[in-house]
Amino acid sequence: MTPDVERAIAAQLLAMADDELILGHRDSEWTGHGPILEEDIALSNIAQDELGHAILWHNLRKEITGDEPDVVVFWRDAQAYRNVQMVELPKGDYAFTIMRQYLFDAAEMARLAQLVESRYQPMAEVAAKIRTEEIYHTRHTSTWIKRLGLGTEESHRRTQTALDELWAYALQLFVPLPEEAALVAKGVVPEAGEVQAAWEDMVVPFLKHAGLIVPRTRHPIAMSREQHTEHLTALLAEMQEVARLESPEVRW
Amino acid sequence: MDTQWSRYEVFEKERLDWPHRNAGSVHAPDGEMALLNARDVFVRRPSCLSLWVVPSDQVFSKTAQELAEDDSWRNAPAQAGAPLEKYLAFQKQGQRAGETFVIHVGEVEARSPAEAMSRALETFSHDNAFVWWVCPDRAVTKSDAEDAASMFEPARSKVYRQPNFYRVLTQMQQFKAGLAFIGEDEE
Repeated sequence: MTPDVERAIAAQLLAMADDELILGHRDSEWTGHGPILEEDIALSNIAQDELGHAILWHNLRKEITGDEPDVVVFWRDAQAYRNVQMVELPKGDYAFTIMRQYLFDAAEMARLAQLVESRYQPMAEVAAKIRTEEIYHTRHTSTWIKRLGLGTEESHRRTQTALDELWAYALQLFVPLPEEAALVAKGVVPEAGEVQAAWEDMVVPFLKHAGLIVPRTRHPIAMSREQHTEHLTALLAEMQEVARLESPEVRW
Repeated sequence: MDTQWSRYEVFEKERLDWPHRNAGSVHAPDGEMALLNARDVFVRRPSCLSLWVVPSDQVFSKTAQELAEDDSWRNAPAQAGAPLEKYLAFQKQGQRAGETFVIHVGEVEARSPAEAMSRALETFSHDNAFVWWVCPDRAVTKSDAEDAASMFEPARSKVYRQPNFYRVLTQMQQFKAGLAFIGEDEE
């Protein structure tokens, strides 16, 4: 691989790892606060899965860059994070958390379905591993969306509100990275437009079936993963606080 | 108003040559969610092949002692026109730690829970049967064979769910044993 391609792959891995990490962290904020015990456990499992996926992507990236995952996660400031804004938004009510997780899981399903065919073999292997878990996540979150969307007046209203708020954020998941075109040409990652089309084929009929109105906007909330909301700074301050009590070399 | 969701009994099959075994219970608004909740609560260990859930109020149960003391339940008439249908039968077969839950022993055909219990008592051995359960098969929500890959297999790779994944465990053992902290050579 040329250095250009390596750099572009590392950027892809960082974006995917940061999405998983920050979403997993937001989900973990429900641990001990879930609506009922069983759902608390279920979402905590999902949070742990997302952190596990972040570790897998980070370990793959380390093979290219040599960067230690713990250092990348705990010693990087908000402006260096490359997650989409959707995952850093505060957890909101349960409808918001579940809708965000559903839209993200469906995007993962669409992306991973093609990423398992990646010409970069290590990426294809990790994608295959993650995919089986995302099948379950999607099952869990879609089961909830159906019940919330078609449930009471209140659950419907909260779920529609969440969808209205999140849609433009979700579209950022399909904005290509700056050097992505070269990787698409080499068959390393799928073309973002194709992933988005597969995602829409999945979520639009489903959301309608759940009694929800899909927003019309086609404009992602942001075109660059270098832009963040103020929420990421606060999230990282909490997430990194303990690790930063000591120097990065200290072993826990 | 009772805001608690209904209770569902959970049955887990851990090995091909083992029967489904009652693992405990979960609360859920319906069978499908109960199945998902059961997976999340009980399948952290990587050995599940199949899950069943059934509303607890669909389970008709008798202990061996109750059966010995009172026979009147047998007289409960079946609903008029109730169809003959499949019931699942379960037994608790021991008192030791690993045997405290009922296991699936087979099926019977009956028109009511009481009739199913009678059929089960006729059909299955009473040796070491401490508790008997029957429930209609139609009330049971079962995982599909094709669900196994996404529902159960991922648990195998989750080594971080095992306590020995964390170095802190060996370090704590060293502290407790009064040993000096051994930083680098324990892995």
